[in-house]
Amino acid sequence: MNDRQPNALMLQHNRQRRKISDKIWRALFLISCVLSALMIVLIIIFIAVKGIRVFLPGYEYGQQNFWDFLTGMTWRQDSKTYGVGFIVINTFTTAAFAALLSFPVATLTALFIVKIAPERLRVAFTTVIELLAAIPSVVYGVFASGAITKLVQQLAAFFGQTSAAGISALSVILLLAIMIFPTICSMAIVAIQAVGKSLEWGSLALGASQTQTNFKVVLSAAKSGIFAGLVLGLGRAFGEATAVTMVAGNAMSGPSWNLFDTTRTLTTTMLSGMHETSGLDYDIRFSAGLVLMAVILLTNALIHLIKRKIGGVDHE
Amino acid sequence: MNLLADKKIKRSQEPMASAATPDLDPGSQTAEAADRYMSRGSGPVARARTQVAAGLKPAAGLPDLKPMFEVQDLNLYYSKFQALKHINLTIPAHQVTAFIGPSGCGKSTLLRCFNRMNDLLEEVRIDGRILMDGRDLRGPQTDVVELRTKVGMVFQQPNPFPMSIFDNVAYGLRCQGIKDRVYLRQVVETSLKKAALYDEVKDELDKNATKLSGGQQQRLCIARAIALQPQVILMDEPTSALDPIATLKIEELMNDLKKEYTIVIVTHSMQQAARISDKTAFFLLGEVVEFDDTVTMFNNPSDKRTEDYISGRFG
Ligand SMILES: Nc1ncnc2c1ncn2[C@@H]1O[C@H](COP(=O)(O)OP(=O)(O)OP(=O)(O)O)[C@@H](O)[C@H]1O
Ligand SMILES: [Mg+2]
Repeated sequence: MNDRQPNALMLQHNRQRRKISDKIWRALFLISCVLSALMIVLIIIFIAVKGIRVFLPGYEYGQQNFWDFLTGMTWRQDSKTYGVGFIVINTFTTAAFAALLSFPVATLTALFIVKIAPERLRVAFTTVIELLAAIPSVVYGVFASGAITKLVQQLAAFFGQTSAAGISALSVILLLAIMIFPTICSMAIVAIQAVGKSLEWGSLALGASQTQTNFKVVLSAAKSGIFAGLVLGLGRAFGEATAVTMVAGNAMSGPSWNLFDTTRTLTTTMLSGMHETSGLDYDIRFSAGLVLMAVILLTNALIHLIKRKIGGVDHE
Repeated sequence: MNLLADKKIKRSQEPMASAATPDLDPGSQTAEAADRYMSRGSGPVARARTQVAAGLKPAAGLPDLKPMFEVQDLNLYYSKFQALKHINLTIPAHQVTAFIGPSGCGKSTLLRCFNRMNDLLEEVRIDGRILMDGRDLRGPQTDVVELRTKVGMVFQQPNPFPMSIFDNVAYGLRCQGIKDRVYLRQVVETSLKKAALYDEVKDELDKNATKLSGGQQQRLCIARAIALQPQVILMDEPTSALDPIATLKIEELMNDLKKEYTIVIVTHSMQQAARISDKTAFFLLGEVVEFDDTVTMFNNPSDKRTEDYISGRFG
């Protein structure tokens, strides 16, 4: 029995080793944290420097007016007019409409998958949604330009509108709605799964129906995870370039409130023709990038505000 | 056992306390009495009785031994495993009935039969009957959702919803479609008062309930159940996660509550069972070994196994 007894010296030794390994791991965590933070900071600085350069005196292709850039409603390379105002509005509206379409459907789907669907269906659905999230955006783009634009074209004809072969804001909205669906849905699934059984039981024991329980307790308890999904989804909607470029068109001015008109978002502005251009037309894309980052930051702040509103209490 | 002596004193005081409570005299429903209710903060409840469907709760009377539940030859199986074996017992109305027994003997399982929470578990099979007001709980005339408004439940772990204190207490009523804010506010207030929580939270009803302490959360869960004016409150080890002071508060509470509600409580504490209950059922391996007045049970149990368990010579 006694030679099985761990001896004090060995335990002492182990304690020492654990302390050292603790220190090493902590250092590793710190390093990776600093590295990733550094990367983000570097990217932001790089874009900021390049983006701001065109507004500074002494810019080699002719200094731009920052205010005109922000509020301008025309973007034309041929006349060197670069106004990003309507583009920001387009970006906002397309992403917001896409989220408006996608968010409720995705949330209800998640609720259905976790709480209502039978086991086998649940597994199948979850797999499909994970797959959808993994499809590269160019594939969505091809689908959109092949199918969504056709649909939109017919819709336009039905309403007696003209559309550039379906290339339009509506196509962008539908495309984005589809693209952000798996992101929002899979986050919602995780959030809803994390809600403890005890809350559900508590609600049912108070004479709530299953539906009341799902909506009033489960969704409300999963709220913050579901909103995190919305933020990610919106991020994707704002940031998606490849697929959107394939169906957005290159509207030179705006904003147009007709969904069948062509549009232009910040990302398509940055992306389309980037490699065939230089000088001011090249550099100003960085300024658009800067605006895009600001838009995303502002939206996130807005969502947090909304979340706090909803999270608060609503009686009296 | 001095616990019992303690209890006897409490009991002897009860009738007096009851007599002094206008609440209990159905004849005193005059305007004057109603005013007195209001000033005591229990007016809304009286009103609730007339407002909420008349059948929901009979006017509280003096404690009688009318049966609340009659369990008749109940067997319950979790797939193949038989968790309850031939249970026969009668839970009296307006009394505190305690379930005691070693872990895994089926106390929670039987408790969950009274509000049919077992329906939520897959692979549960039940035969036998439980009568409530002479009607089979599992019969086709019984609506589960309605049953659960009549038979409230408080769980072992406090489980407040992640919403405000107010919304937690109003939850059950709102689920019944009651929207009248003034009425809701009154019921929330009286329920919190009855659960002995009101004074601690009256200025922060908007606060998120998950920020309360464990003991406060548990009292909130009791308030939440009371708000529905149930006939019965089932409690599954309601104080096992609480400190002695919070436990004491909840025990005192139960003594008050039994005037209006029938209480069935599962507990692992012999002292608690002795302190608060009128009847005790001793469970062992899915069977009820003994079911009797608590005083009798603790003073001269008729079964050797009960005696062993109560005196701590048992698992
Ligand atoms: N959902 C379930 N599925 C299968 N078996 C279960 C389930 N719940 C309980 N059991 C079994 O039924 C028996 C009784 O369980 P129950 O929870 O009623 O015991 P208990 O008396 O409340 O115990 P404790 O004092 O530990 O809470 C146990 O053997 C347990 O393993
Ligand atoms: Mg139990």
